[in-house]
Amino acid sequence: MSTHSKRYALVIDSKKCIDCKACVVACRAENGVPLTKSRNWINEEHRGTWPKLLAAFEPEQCHHCADPACVRVCPTGASYQRADGVVVIDDVQCIGCRYCVIACPYDARFFREDRGVVEKCDLCARRIDRGDMPACVETCPSKVRVFGDLNDPDGKLTELLEKREYRVKKPEAGTGPQIYYLI
Amino acid sequence: MNRRRFLKFSAGGAAGAAALATSAAYFAPFQKKQAIASGLQEIPTTCEMCVNKCSVIAVVNNGVIQKLNPNPENPRSRGMVCARGNAGLQEVYDSARLKRPLIRVGARGEGKWRPATWDEAFDFAAQKLSAVKEKFGPQGSLWSSSESFQEVFFQNLGLSFGSPNTVRHATLCLASVNLAYSATFGTVPSFDLLNSKYIIMSGANRLESFITPDTMDLVGSTTDRKARLIYLDPRFTVTASKADEWYPIKPGTDLAFILAMLNVIVGENRYDKEFVATYTTGFEQLADHIKQYTPEWAEKETEIPAKDIARVAREFSDAAPRAVYYAGRRSSWYQNDFQMRRAQAILNAIVGNWDRQGGMVPNAHVELGEYLFLPWDDPAAPRVDELDKNFPLAAKGDGAYLKLRENVLAGTPYPVKAWMIHKQDPMNALPDQAKTIRMLGQMDFVGVIDIQMSDTAWYADVVFPESSYLERQDPVGVLPGIWPVVVYRQPVIKPIHDTKTTLEIVQGLAKRLNLSQYFDYTIDQWVDAQVKTLPLDIPLEHLKKHGTYFPSGFPKYGTTLTPDHRFVTKSGKIELFSERLQETNYEPLPVYHPPAQPTAGKFRLILGRKAYFTHANTTNNPWLNSFAPENRLWLHPSSAQSVGVADGDRVEVTSSAGSIRIKVAVKQEIRPDCAFMLHGFGKRSKWQRLVADVGASDAQLLETSWDKVSGNAALHETFVKVVRV
Amino acid sequence: MKTIEWGLLIVNYLFLGGLSAGLFFVSALATYLRNREDTKDSRIARLGALMAPWPVMLGCLLLVFDLGHWYRAYKLYLHFRWMSPMSIGSWLLVAFTLVSLLYCFAWLEEPQRNQLFAFVPTRLNFLHTFNSDLSRYRRQLAAIGFPISIGVGIYTGVLLGAVQSRPFWNTNLVAQLFLFSALSTGSAALIIALLWGRKTIEFEEIRLLYTLDICFLTLEFFVVLPYIIHGKLSVQAVQDSLKLILGGPFTLVFWVFFLGLGLLVPLAIETWEVLPTLWSKASVHFNKVWAATAALLVLMGGFLLRYIFVYAGQMSAFK
Repeated sequence: MSTHSKRYALVIDSKKCIDCKACVVACRAENGVPLTKSRNWINEEHRGTWPKLLAAFEPEQCHHCADPACVRVCPTGASYQRADGVVVIDDVQCIGCRYCVIACPYDARFFREDRGVVEKCDLCARRIDRGDMPACVETCPSKVRVFGDLNDPDGKLTELLEKREYRVKKPEAGTGPQIYYLI
Repeated sequence: MNRRRFLKFSAGGAAGAAALATSAAYFAPFQKKQAIASGLQEIPTTCEMCVNKCSVIAVVNNGVIQKLNPNPENPRSRGMVCARGNAGLQEVYDSARLKRPLIRVGARGEGKWRPATWDEAFDFAAQKLSAVKEKFGPQGSLWSSSESFQEVFFQNLGLSFGSPNTVRHATLCLASVNLAYSATFGTVPSFDLLNSKYIIMSGANRLESFITPDTMDLVGSTTDRKARLIYLDPRFTVTASKADEWYPIKPGTDLAFILAMLNVIVGENRYDKEFVATYTTGFEQLADHIKQYTPEWAEKETEIPAKDIARVAREFSDAAPRAVYYAGRRSSWYQNDFQMRRAQAILNAIVGNWDRQGGMVPNAHVELGEYLFLPWDDPAAPRVDELDKNFPLAAKGDGAYLKLRENVLAGTPYPVKAWMIHKQDPMNALPDQAKTIRMLGQMDFVGVIDIQMSDTAWYADVVFPESSYLERQDPVGVLPGIWPVVVYRQPVIKPIHDTKTTLEIVQGLAKRLNLSQYFDYTIDQWVDAQVKTLPLDIPLEHLKKHGTYFPSGFPKYGTTLTPDHRFVTKSGKIELFSERLQETNYEPLPVYHPPAQPTAGKFRLILGRKAYFTHANTTNNPWLNSFAPENRLWLHPSSAQSVGVADGDRVEVTSSAGSIRIKVAVKQEIRPDCAFMLHGFGKRSKWQRLVADVGASDAQLLETSWDKVSGNAALHETFVKVVRV
Repeated sequence: MKTIEWGLLIVNYLFLGGLSAGLFFVSALATYLRNREDTKDSRIARLGALMAPWPVMLGCLLLVFDLGHWYRAYKLYLHFRWMSPMSIGSWLLVAFTLVSLLYCFAWLEEPQRNQLFAFVPTRLNFLHTFNSDLSRYRRQLAAIGFPISIGVGIYTGVLLGAVQSRPFWNTNLVAQLFLFSALSTGSAALIIALLWGRKTIEFEEIRLLYTLDICFLTLEFFVVLPYIIHGKLSVQAVQDSLKLILGGPFTLVFWVFFLGLGLLVPLAIETWEVLPTLWSKASVHFNKVWAATAALLVLMGGFLLRYIFVYAGQMSAFK
């Protein structure tokens, strides 16, 4: 049993994404997300003219940044980062000022009018704490997302990131995003 | 932490990436998870949001289902739950669910109901059925149903009632492909996409329209395992976007493409000679027959360049036996569908991919026991669709739905005046809705069993609310295939409304129809009889705990590859040339007949699915509806221009069957000679709140047309006129 | 999911906070600038002091009602998070409100104080001990409040500017822009207050306000220019975000209503007003209508600046 500190992250192989929306519905069910909002989503790109066409799909959610802007701007400390890197919201401390929603470069947060607080992906903290996968990771038919510990030298993420080329989104926003998109 | 972008090739990395997936390695990631938090129950059961029957684990808190998680123990669900599987709890907790029996009080289709007790509903239905039986005989009743674990009880009620007229969904779906492969191999195989290196798909939009193991395997094969995917479709679908090569084939000409591939493979001696000699019959006739179908000829038919057809044929035969021409699910396209599927079967046969890893594999089964109930006499009357005369090769119990409707409407050979419908929505499932309404209209009695107020239920006299799949126990099911598994559906919660299972409904009716003796058993007895043959200590306990049973030793390849193996065909061999077809006056080898093409100003209406909608059934599920709240008519920009419409404009779409009004979506992703719309919208049932009068129903436009051999509906033979309104 | 989270309540709050800061700043400045020997109170200092606390308190009320849970606003004061502009700002606002209230109280004359304390119910008689004359502390209170008022004025800009994910905001110039705009709205509000009063307006009073306002507006103008120039010379995301005002939904409101009518036109009017004083000992032109017009336009400009920045900023993003 290694004693390193954990750093949870996602590796996403967008080429495998078929836009089936299973992750979106699984998240909705797991986290009780209201119908008009979503903690995760699939970006679509459609280009070209018939018959030279392209369609690409890319799932996205909170990037659980190394230096999260949302955590920095939160006036009450309701948004915080756990030792394992997961950025979470303590919805008792959240006053609903929505500064974090504005501060997130990925628009990964949303305000829940019905509860008066801000919400976002927490990598299904409840699930991962009991050893399960986040709902979106587990349910995915084509296994687009890989969840794991970046600090585990023998982990799946380490292996993938050593073998494959990857990119992160909007690194210029300076928050150190931790979703790695395989190229 | 330094995570600079870099590329590191480990020694042999390229070879490693190309390594073939074995099933053990493939399923390793889906480990059993730890016990869930206290207070919550985890109950394994089987999904029923589509027909794939994935294993799911329901997380239940105090009698309320919170989440449906994938059950990694079933290899056939590949450790996943798709969008609609996840949305299953909405089906249970939908406020518009059928909550109690209803008896119609207004006119048919008016939507006026009165709640009834079960006794009232049973008495009412039994009295009507008995009246029809008295006047028109038992054959005056029609029993239609779609595939589900309790369908058997419903069918048995119809048969014991004395009616020969059971009709299932096959001829709206895959009858042609089933029949074509049966005619060739004596069975319908599965395709080992997990291990294929070269996959050709005609239209079967497997990455977008339906999530089954084949979908997941196809994704893995085309990405991690570097298989090649050649895809033909008049639309640029998700599958097209992931394919290595996509050809926007001229609709209805797939047969020409396949025949030209055969021409190249046979002409260039690229077929598996040993396999052909040992296991097949009729190769000489085939070789002669396909000489006429050159790639150059096919180019004119399909609009796919001859050199590409020839190259694909060569690559396909080079990759064999790890190469498949995929058959697909819904094969209700054209009037020549049977012959097109048979040409695929023949092509697969001559490259020797039969029963080989990465090829086609005959389905393995798990034997279950049977509950022995009291038998009844076979129905005396012939079927109303006159299957023996019209479609002598077709599967008897499935019927031929469209021919059946024609005969019922015409009253030939005898009148049918009562229609019992089990979890089927003929209003949307059948083309030409006006005819279906007429057929409903001429019934003395219509009874529907469903969980929601479908368009068909909307036109019924009595509606029996069924318990949802998460509220009931079903007979144990076997999913035959490369990975044969047993799946079990147990209730994860008690019924939340005054609903019953199909067996209970059948028994309630049987009692009043004096047929009780044939249904004198409980679901527990039925299940016990089924599971007792399983090689497990306490089979039922195992199924209750695991939800599924996967026997060891699979997949198995090559079990039929012994020279003395007898295929279930007339000759005992794989029949490239079919004498059986010749005897029944069908073409013994696939002959190409050019399909009709739309005249100027008209478009061919083509159909397709999104995997979050199961036919017309889940468009009203709010979680799923949100992804496509309204359907639109896809038109290519040049078509839209010729019609004089822009994106979002409303148009009137007209065929000989009817007309609809719908908004236009101008899309690059469709051939200019086609129009496309999503299924399951424009509902008539007002209880389908999200889709009632939203968008339009394709069933109102589609014309009645079927495949000559199988009787399968031909749903792509309708040409429509589009006018701005 | 791109949404506009901060709407008109926040725009108003930012405007009102800035207005209070400007009022206090000008009042404090007027207090300092007086000769120690001058026994007559400065009317500008007094008006500024009396007006300063109220806009910011109203603004804070709006802010609290913009929260998802208004009653959770107290949680802001259970934490101090130095990396969060909002946390710093909420502490600043409290400090500013307290100081400006005290300062206001210090400017009350005795009859006014007595009138105020007449509202105190007899049960709470002990409160009357607070009814004391603080007028001798005016300069000290002004000195304490002076940096805090600048802090409040600049904070409203920092709140936006410190958000790295919104390229439209993410420059220090926004802070300066908001500060100068805040100060100019303060002096403009005082011009209106003077015009409102029945007493005749003295030459020195109006000249001071005009001079300050011209000064603030000019400073503001020379922050707007570099804001655009820097933006155009910045990274792609910032260049793209500038399209919102250089050819996008906010072009008209920015150029015509904010920069033109809200900044340059009042600047021109006020300059014209004080022009005679440059050449001779002549008085300002002093046209009441022009003065009121200029002051109202400055207030409008200050409001629109916040409107444009709050909305356009939220619409800007990295690609």
